Amino acid sequence: MAETTNDKPAESAADSGDERLAHRGPIQTLLTRPEIGALLGLVGVGVMFWLVAGQFGTVGGIANFLDTAAILGIMAVPVALLMIGGEFDLSSGAMTGATAMVVVLLSIDPGSGGAGLNLFMAVPLTLALALSIGWFNGTVVDRTSLPSFIVTLGTFFILWGGKLGFAKLFTDKVIVGDGGQLKDAGGFDFWSSIFGAEWVLNPQKVESGEIDESGQAILEIVPGTGHIWDGRDWAWAGLLIVGGAALLLGVLELTYRRRSAYKMSGIAASAVGVAVAVAGFVYLLTQGGSASEWIGGILIAAGVLAGVSGWCVARYEPADRSGAGAANAPGLASRLGAGVAGIVLGVVIALLMDSGNTERLGFLPGAAGRTVFAIGIAVAGVLAVLAAMGRIRMTYPLIGAAIMFIPTVSFLVTGQAARVLLFGGLAGAGVLLLASSAGRSRMPLVFSLLSAVALVVLAFFIQLESTSRKLRVELFVVLLLIALLVAVAALASHLCQRRQTAVASADLGPWARVGAVAGLAGVVVFAILELIDGDGIIYSVVVGIAKGALVAFAVYAAGALYKLLFTSDEGTGRAVVVVGAGLVALSFIARLLFITTEEALATNARTSFRVQVLFLLLYAAAGTWVLAKTQFGNWIFAVGGNKEAARSVGVPAARAKTTLFMLVSGSAWLAGMLIAFRQLSVQADVGNGDEFRYIIVAVVGGNLLTGGYGSALGAAIGAIIWGMISQGIGFALWNSNWQFLVLGALLLVAVIVNNYIRGRAEKAPVRTEKAKPDQAEITIVVPKEPASGAKEDQQ
Amino acid sequence: MSTEFLEMKNLSKFYGNIIALTGVTTTVNPGEVTCVLGDNGAGKSTFIKILAGVHQHDEGELILEGAEVKFASPREALSAGIATVYQDLAMVPLMSVWRNFFLGQEPRKGMWPFRQIDIDKAKTIAKDEMAKMGIDIRDTEQSVGTLSGGERQSVAIARASYFGARVLILDEPTSALGVKQSGVVLRRIVEARDQGLAVIFITHNPHHAYPVGDRFVILKRGRALGNWAKEELSQAELTQLMAGGAELEQLQHELAQAGTD
Repeated sequence: MAETTNDKPAESAADSGDERLAHRGPIQTLLTRPEIGALLGLVGVGVMFWLVAGQFGTVGGIANFLDTAAILGIMAVPVALLMIGGEFDLSSGAMTGATAMVVVLLSIDPGSGGAGLNLFMAVPLTLALALSIGWFNGTVVDRTSLPSFIVTLGTFFILWGGKLGFAKLFTDKVIVGDGGQLKDAGGFDFWSSIFGAEWVLNPQKVESGEIDESGQAILEIVPGTGHIWDGRDWAWAGLLIVGGAALLLGVLELTYRRRSAYKMSGIAASAVGVAVAVAGFVYLLTQGGSASEWIGGILIAAGVLAGVSGWCVARYEPADRSGAGAANAPGLASRLGAGVAGIVLGVVIALLMDSGNTERLGFLPGAAGRTVFAIGIAVAGVLAVLAAMGRIRMTYPLIGAAIMFIPTVSFLVTGQAARVLLFGGLAGAGVLLLASSAGRSRMPLVFSLLSAVALVVLAFFIQLESTSRKLRVELFVVLLLIALLVAVAALASHLCQRRQTAVASADLGPWARVGAVAGLAGVVVFAILELIDGDGIIYSVVVGIAKGALVAFAVYAAGALYKLLFTSDEGTGRAVVVVGAGLVALSFIARLLFITTEEALATNARTSFRVQVLFLLLYAAAGTWVLAKTQFGNWIFAVGGNKEAARSVGVPAARAKTTLFMLVSGSAWLAGMLIAFRQLSVQADVGNGDEFRYIIVAVVGGNLLTGGYGSALGAAIGAIIWGMISQGIGFALWNSNWQFLVLGALLLVAVIVNNYIRGRAEKAPVRTEKAKPDQAEITIVVPKEPASGAKEDQQ
Repeated sequence: MSTEFLEMKNLSKFYGNIIALTGVTTTVNPGEVTCVLGDNGAGKSTFIKILAGVHQHDEGELILEGAEVKFASPREALSAGIATVYQDLAMVPLMSVWRNFFLGQEPRKGMWPFRQIDIDKAKTIAKDEMAKMGIDIRDTEQSVGTLSGGERQSVAIARASYFGARVLILDEPTSALGVKQSGVVLRRIVEARDQGLAVIFITHNPHHAYPVGDRFVILKRGRALGNWAKEELSQAELTQLMAGGAELEQLQHELAQAGTD
């Protein structure tokens, strides 16, 4: 055991695979993804507006910003692919308006200046036109080797001029179809049911005539009714907790070394803990009054802590205590003590901050005082990060400054949101700590626990001071969950030894197959049921697929959890992480996308989702799949990264690029159809200038302007962030002129975060030399690999 | 073997009225290394590009296994078994090792339109083939930009030999490398030769060419100075030819004259 020290556990811990390959936990894998900046931005912006404006988080608000995001995203995804392929298409924005106008001009009757074609002719003709413009762009760029910026700029002006000129020529106006003549065109009903489809969520109000068709989809709860705690909230809270637990179990399973057999005392402790936590939750939700919140919160916290610790004892090997580092490692008792102390401290601080004791906070008068307070706590957060990293470099104070900046600014805006963001920042620091420590043998335990404490404090803080019951109950649950995840993960990492090898894939074959069959059957059954109910075809199919997918997921989840409990399959952890993430996602869907009857009746605006949201989801999924898994995706990366190299190894670079240009123009056709069938009339300047929005959104999503690197999912997320900001500012009743300031800041922050985190995450597992940035790379900081170079030289 | 495997007779290439390459005659056989030497602007790149299908020759014959050929595209040359490892390595630095390894010839599975790359297979093969070259890649997800120059060369050579290349063209593989790494690459050349590949090794360094070469072609200002087998030429003669012996003598002469004037 002489060579086994705490600094180098890899060699002794390896049981399969390449022993030099440190195992990367799921968090680290996520951090190396290009869309990480956008993802953080999405969560940050979403939470911010949700807290500033309650309506933002309701069904109506979500339908509103997704609607804005959808057309943007439908274009941003192909534009991102083109950008990864190393080209730009400045004509993409004008093209959306052009296709919309052409389809209207082709189909409205000759008397209004149209060609009077049946839409079954006009729609495919427009597609052919769009594709041929894309082909033209691609071919000219390829043949002339001119920068695509110039070529497509030319196409852009041609389209712009063409739109104005033809609109004037045929209709004598710069708007076509403004008399609604499109409705009279042949085949309108069919095409409208595809491009103009819409699912109204509160049809009762629409049918009763309380809301007119054109009503703004802004949901407003009638004052005084407040939030109604109903089945949807139960689904949200329950799924969130189960999903969080699954996530935690999966992360543990992926990260730590497993025992050969269970330890029964641990299982017993775990079971007791879970029972206590459940009891606490039920007590919290069923009993009224301040006391129940205290008792419930404490029970939940203690129960989860005991449950997870027990599970760790039952399931995982204790850390290797041989070697020099063991002397510094605190014992189990002291860590448990730290956890308990953290919770007690949280309770005490929360007591101080009780709304009934506001005079005790008198030492913090006014905005200035609160700002000082915020800075103080944020500095503590910064110091925690610095200490946890174990060393100080220029970049860490930058993170610290960011963490400090957010609460400081938000304190000045609104008291309640500020606190959430403040502690949200600390939560981010906690996650960062977890991520950074995954590559090290010693966990910065104390600081993770401090983060957890901060979160617990926040949970009680909100619980006591907030006047909104919705905020109290829901945020309380979420924050306690996050706090306990941080605390427990810190604790568990010292109970267990890190696993260093790669993880095999889970053997869930039979479960996955059964799930797929059950899911498919479910799709058919649910779709037929919807059809019998008299719903439209698209709606029935979508609902059928959604419900069938739920059935399939449930079977898969059951399989993964079964495996986790009764077998020792190596890849189960990964499956459980997937299940946990799925459950959390479902909880958010349950909370955000479904409107209950009570709420619908209290709503005085039309609430609906349009078909373009569906297209956005399809685009994001298909784009991601193409990039990651297909040959064409490989070629896109290659032609963008090094076109000559790609060509010399046999990639048809010209064809790939032309296909990408055609993909963009084809998507512009889809966007154009959505615009035309929604508005029925098209102005000549629709879409002009949008191309820069597509590019900005793609960059926010982690796509490299110079090509060769990026993500389709990131572009879709970027589009949703844009939608959130442009709509959220309205919800928050801010001056809408601020939106470009926010967007600009977001762009810069997203790019910097992408760049920084990616560089860090790629360096993290290298345990030897300090990495030097490769000179050849502009944006990605990569470590040299001295070990293998030396090995090679010796041969 | 009575007929040569790959034969070039008076291969010429013109860009308008510029003679880029003329009168190159040589042969390439499996298990042999043919070295093409020349100074900058000697026509080495044109020579490679004709063989690799990037350019087409204007005069002369290119004979592969007895049949005359003219490659219209790099894909065609590749499918004829001629693989080229370019000076700039034909690698995409931002892409992972396995993606680079299979670029253009990805193994696929599944049915259209759901056909996708068989990623597990690709990763396994890339790792195994690199191991055969004596390079143990930690993680084939590592991007090529993180590899050292010698390792990148090895990925390119391993890729070429895996995809059934019969002729391996190496364009100045040692020019950007240090002394040690050059030695590693020269060893790869010998290994590839021993595996039965015909290797065309382009360089301007006679000290790298002589130890591994079986046959030498020297290009100068677009013309071939000649085509020698190893036994017909000593290293000193090769160096002399490469260094432009005649010009050096001339220069020496002029300098001497200048001294007396």
